[in-house]
Amino acid sequence: MRIPIRMIGIATTFFWIFLIAFAVTAVYSLKDVQFDFGEPQTGTTADNRLFFSMPIKIFNRGFYDIGYFNVTSQITSGDGAIVASGTTFVPVIRKGEEITTSHMVTVSIGDLLQSNRNYLFNNTELRICESVGMRVAEMIPVQASTNFSVPWGAPLYGFALGAPEYSTYNVTHLRVVVPVSFENHSFFDLAGTVQLRMFNSTGVYAGFGQTSVGARQGSSYDGLVEFYVGASGLTRSGSFEVSFLSSVFNYGPWVIPYG
Amino acid sequence: MFRALKAAIKGILFYIIYFVLSQLLAPVSTLVPSLQQMIETFFIAYIVLMIVGDLTSGTIYQHFFNAAKALFVIGYLLFSLRGGVFGASFENVSLMVDLRLFLVIAVLLSLLGLAKTVLQAINYMTEKAEITPI
Repeated sequence: MRIPIRMIGIATTFFWIFLIAFAVTAVYSLKDVQFDFGEPQTGTTADNRLFFSMPIKIFNRGFYDIGYFNVTSQITSGDGAIVASGTTFVPVIRKGEEITTSHMVTVSIGDLLQSNRNYLFNNTELRICESVGMRVAEMIPVQASTNFSVPWGAPLYGFALGAPEYSTYNVTHLRVVVPVSFENHSFFDLAGTVQLRMFNSTGVYAGFGQTSVGARQGSSYDGLVEFYVGASGLTRSGSFEVSFLSSVFNYGPWVIPYG
Repeated sequence: MFRALKAAIKGILFYIIYFVLSQLLAPVSTLVPSLQQMIETFFIAYIVLMIVGDLTSGTIYQHFFNAAKALFVIGYLLFSLRGGVFGASFENVSLMVDLRLFLVIAVLLSLLGLAKTVLQAINYMTEKAEITPI
């Protein structure tokens, strides 16, 4: 019985040494893995979606390969609805290898604004949840996660139509001038068209006008929409159906009363 | 005298292992402050049980202490590693390390050690019974 016991002892000792050496070197080699997250960039894709891109450089100087490296970003609104998400996955980073990848999240501004008009007119906050995961030595899963808020600037902040001004154009028609103003608090430049459909107090269509608008990020816009309406159908009060069309998003119509 | 010397040598050897490990894990200890304390407590208890086991070598108590050592390793690993999923938070960043595979292997090895101790105890009792004069 002594020999089997001794053999068990030798085998156990060998496996313990192997296990401890592996665990210690795996943890120790983590400090030699260099992560470099570059400056985030924003822009628009060919299909007019906004993108957030972040270059990631990983230099694995550790003793073991790193497997299943992934970066996940999830952007949620204040009420917890998922606005956008993106995942970057690198299957294996060999020891001594340096890789550069780019983590990208795209957002359809049109869908976002259609789902909640609050983003169009009011500054608010978006929650971003970032997580980085990997398998050290392709065996030990490690995950780090964080969440933070980023300010969301409304592209049509404080959008307002002024009181329409009327002047006689001819016997049957009036010229209507409507002041339009807003501030572009978003992180992208805005260029598009504001369309107005005028309805009188009984809901009868009176006329249509549009104008091109443009506002750089952080700047305000003040302009006029000029159009002609039939004098007979006009009333002192009524409503405008406003639509906004741009390359980044389309929104509308929404109703603004006048008079 | 020989038992004490053997125990002392093993104690010193294990202390050296502890010292090397703590040096290697120093960068990680700054991130996980409880790690150093965890390893220190483990080594103190393990070395004490090992020395006492060696001092009582040749008696049935040696096997009790060896079994206690194996059970202590299992218990300590399960409690300190919190079931294998180890989490820590630094400011707004939460870190999660899944050590379940490591834990399973360590527990299996400890169980093998426990089995060896039980076999040693049985062997000891058998040998004692064989030489007992009727």
